[in-house]
Amino acid sequence: MVSGPSLTPRLLREAQRAEAAASDAGLSFFEVVFEMLDAADVNAVAAYGGFPTRYPSWRFGMEYERLAKGHQWGLSKIYELVVNHDPTIAYLVRSNSLMEQKLVMAHVFGHADFFRNNAWFAPTERSMLERFEEHARRIHEYVGRYGQDRVERFLDVALGLEPLMDPHGPQRRFRAAESRARRGGGPPGTTQVERSRRSLRLVMGDEPPAPDPGQRQRPTFDLLTFIAEHAHLEDWERDVLGIVAAEAEYFMPQRLTKIINEGWASFWHSRLLTGGLLEPSELIEFADCHSSATQAAPGQLNPYKLGIELFRHAERQGLDLFRLRAVHNDVSFVDEVMDEAFIERSALFVSEQGRGGEGARIGSRDHRRVKQELLRSLAWAGQPRIELVEVAGGGRRDLVLQHHHDGRDLKLDEAAAVLRTIEGLWRAPVQLLTFEGDQARRLTANGGEVEVREAEAPPSALPSRAG
Amino acid sequence: MAGQIHRIDRDRARFKEVVRGRIREDLQRYLASSELIGKRGDRVVSVPVPAVELPRFRFGSNEAGVGQGPGEVGDAADGRDGDADGGAGGAGEQEGSHILEAEVELEELASMLGEELGLPNILPRGRDELDACGGQWSGIRGQGPESLRHFRRTFRRALVRTIAAGDFDHQRPVVTPIRDDQVYRALKPKPRPESSAVIMHMMDVSGSMGREQKDIVRIEAFWIDTWLRSQYRNLEVVYIVHDATAKVVDKETFFHLRESGGTKISSAYELCLDLIKERYHPEDYNIYPFHYSDGDNWSARDTERCVALVRDELLSRVNQFCYGQVKSAYGSGQFKKDLDTAFQEEPALVTAGVDDRAGIPGAIKAFLGQGR
Repeated sequence: MVSGPSLTPRLLREAQRAEAAASDAGLSFFEVVFEMLDAADVNAVAAYGGFPTRYPSWRFGMEYERLAKGHQWGLSKIYELVVNHDPTIAYLVRSNSLMEQKLVMAHVFGHADFFRNNAWFAPTERSMLERFEEHARRIHEYVGRYGQDRVERFLDVALGLEPLMDPHGPQRRFRAAESRARRGGGPPGTTQVERSRRSLRLVMGDEPPAPDPGQRQRPTFDLLTFIAEHAHLEDWERDVLGIVAAEAEYFMPQRLTKIINEGWASFWHSRLLTGGLLEPSELIEFADCHSSATQAAPGQLNPYKLGIELFRHAERQGLDLFRLRAVHNDVSFVDEVMDEAFIERSALFVSEQGRGGEGARIGSRDHRRVKQELLRSLAWAGQPRIELVEVAGGGRRDLVLQHHHDGRDLKLDEAAAVLRTIEGLWRAPVQLLTFEGDQARRLTANGGEVEVREAEAPPSALPSRAG
Repeated sequence: MAGQIHRIDRDRARFKEVVRGRIREDLQRYLASSELIGKRGDRVVSVPVPAVELPRFRFGSNEAGVGQGPGEVGDAADGRDGDADGGAGGAGEQEGSHILEAEVELEELASMLGEELGLPNILPRGRDELDACGGQWSGIRGQGPESLRHFRRTFRRALVRTIAAGDFDHQRPVVTPIRDDQVYRALKPKPRPESSAVIMHMMDVSGSMGREQKDIVRIEAFWIDTWLRSQYRNLEVVYIVHDATAKVVDKETFFHLRESGGTKISSAYELCLDLIKERYHPEDYNIYPFHYSDGDNWSARDTERCVALVRDELLSRVNQFCYGQVKSAYGSGQFKKDLDTAFQEEPALVTAGVDDRAGIPGAIKAFLGQGR
């Protein structure tokens, strides 16, 4: 269940001890493969999101520079990297001390358990290593055929539209497929699938009705996929959009579960190490390392700290921790566990941007507002909700997008740039309805120019599905 | 695995190209802004590149967030004193909005500048200096003829070795050098004159030169330094400020000092001449005096004195004499007219007027466009 071809015998023994302790505690995971890397190589793997075989893009180079600088200046240090995959792949950093490796290994089993058992990961493909390689191979082929510049330019366009997806879409499709299988009298789902379905009902309520075929374009948040399917594109361009959409979909559950996943892994590394894995002589070093990973910079929120404290709070309340990790994403986890006492003890506050270039200020300590702001910032994977609400008919193909304004304005200049990009792909005007404060705005991209106008308030009663 | 990871080298190289392309596109903007100043190391410049991110739908400025820590409502969220220096706003910045700094080699930035403004490379001043290769016996190396053995250093090394080895006997202090201890004098090549240059930035710091005027000077000086540094292997920079009197100052003082007195430009030119005579001999250095003011001088008589100094003393000793006139609310701009009238036919004297930041590239081109 655990292997580490590049580990020293000593570390492999520690890995086996950590695995035994994790299993005894009730964690369950796919096989875990440990790989030992130098710090620079870990930064490289991290820049590729854990998949060093991905297609070439300068953006990975940029990410690497960012990580390497952070490392060089001692601002940040990557201790480990765990890839959601079957087997689960965990990269360790050679420069870590023995105690750090032990801590990291226990942490890794926490993540591995989470990846396997959390409902939001149920739809993800566990053999993405091959998929990513296949994507890279196709992109290389396009570069060979259409030239580096052209492919890179298009890839940039596609990556710019990457966030235009429904964060809950994979989950919904997964459930729809499942219920179809059930109605079709197919074989009952595997234990894991059954389990995630049960947990999903807890989180999301009942399934939405199946889409009605023959209806005209329904509103959708999956704008990138919509463009890939319906825009007048060359085949290779369509494929590139599809690749970007598929990879974004794979990473989405991790973005939805940052706090709960890190909290779960930190909770277990702490529990397992202090529960027997640690030598007495390592205690001080452990305390030092653990507290620096779970400390909050002044005024900021550390997902490790918030997550582990929420789990400890839940444990004190007698909640079933294993159920929590099985069913929740960050939003629902915070919503269920965070209460007034927790907010007060953790000294959470709402921070507001000061006027005139001042730094952020403490705006409120009211627990309802704190929770509301936190949930709002986590919802929809932290992105603005942009929905395609209409495709003009009658020979016109204009797209009408709507920003679901929740009190937070868009950066209009950047929004205008995105609209120009979409217009370029779609080859017809694109509109965006949004608000600037209380004032409704309509941005129209037409012929490479974007016009911003005051608009009638858009109908606010649009169905917002899945939240 | 390792081979795959090293794909990152290719993506990093590509990223650097993208950044360079971005800088090149935006060079006109960088030319007129102070963003790069203070970012220059010996060989590289850190260029802030905010625009390299792809545009996305993002939340604007009225986004609230959640933080953690002690403090009262209204306190700074990061726990720091609210009265601290302003300017460093945006504590709760969103992921992705960070400004990335890209390191660009000085040479490369200079070559971008050269391309952008069409600057010619500087031609050597004269033939003689080309052959002038000298040196001093101030170097040290491990091999050499016995006649060049550095006795003191050799002995010192032997002594250190003996003590370190524990063989040193106070009663009988005998130190025997072995082969490894022996060091020899070596010829240290002296920079050849045609590769050495000195820039003398002179600035009027009298009351009428405001902050914006000084910023313009600062930006101009930055680009001039960058360009000349790419042309000369050894570049020294001297800063002179003047109001009614002139003095040599360090860089910091140069850009931040503000005096209130009158203006006597000749004081700076005299100091400049003294420095050339004392330290920066024309046969050793390429000399580039730059003078910036808002164009007011104490008296017409002093202006005459300046013209005489430039014509009779300075021009024969320097590569080129540049005068940049920054427009201010108080300056009459008379000095540039006077210089232009006096030196109509003189290619080694260049004047340029800068009304605002947008005029900076034009002035740089005027100064450096002659290839002198």
